[in-house]
Amino acid sequence: MDFQMYNDAEKQQIQRIIEQKQMRDFLKFYTNLVERCFNDCINDFTSKALTSKEETCINRCADKFLKHNERVGQRF
Amino acid sequence: MAEQELEMITDTFYRIVDMCYKKCIPPKYIDGELNKGESVCIDRCVAKYFEVNMKIGEALQKKGQQTGVGGSVTGFGA
Repeated sequence: MDFQMYNDAEKQQIQRIIEQKQMRDFLKFYTNLVERCFNDCINDFTSKALTSKEETCINRCADKFLKHNERVGQRF
Repeated sequence: MAEQELEMITDTFYRIVDMCYKKCIPPKYIDGELNKGESVCIDRCVAKYFEVNMKIGEALQKKGQQTGVGGSVTGFGA
C-alpha cells in the first residue's frame, strides 16, 4: 500500500480508519476464539464451574489457535 | 466506541443463545416446554461461557504482553 499520494491530514484520517478497523478485527477475533474453544472443549454441564480438564483444554485451545494464526500470517 | 460495545454485547448474546441451544437442547421436540434438565443445562452453559470468555481474555492479554499490542493479532501489519 502506497501512502505517498496523500497529504498529512489525509494520512492522519487513514491512520484513524486503520486503527478502528484493527480494533473491530481484534474484537471479532476474540469472540470467534471464545466460540471455537467453547464449542470444542465444553461438553460437561453437570456443574456450573469449569472442570480442570476443561480449563486445560481451553488454555491449549487458545495457545494453539494463536500459534496457528501466527503461522498463517507468516505464510500469507 | 459505545456503538461498538453495544454491538459486541448483542453479538455475544446471540452467540450464547445459539451455542447453548446446540449443547443443551436435543432436537427431539417431544414437548414445547423446557424441562428441568434443559433449564439447568442452560444456566450452567451461560455461566461456563463467561468463564471461558474470561480465560481467553487472560490468555490474550498474556500474549499481548509478550509480543506487543495492536496489529500483532492479525499477523501482518498494514
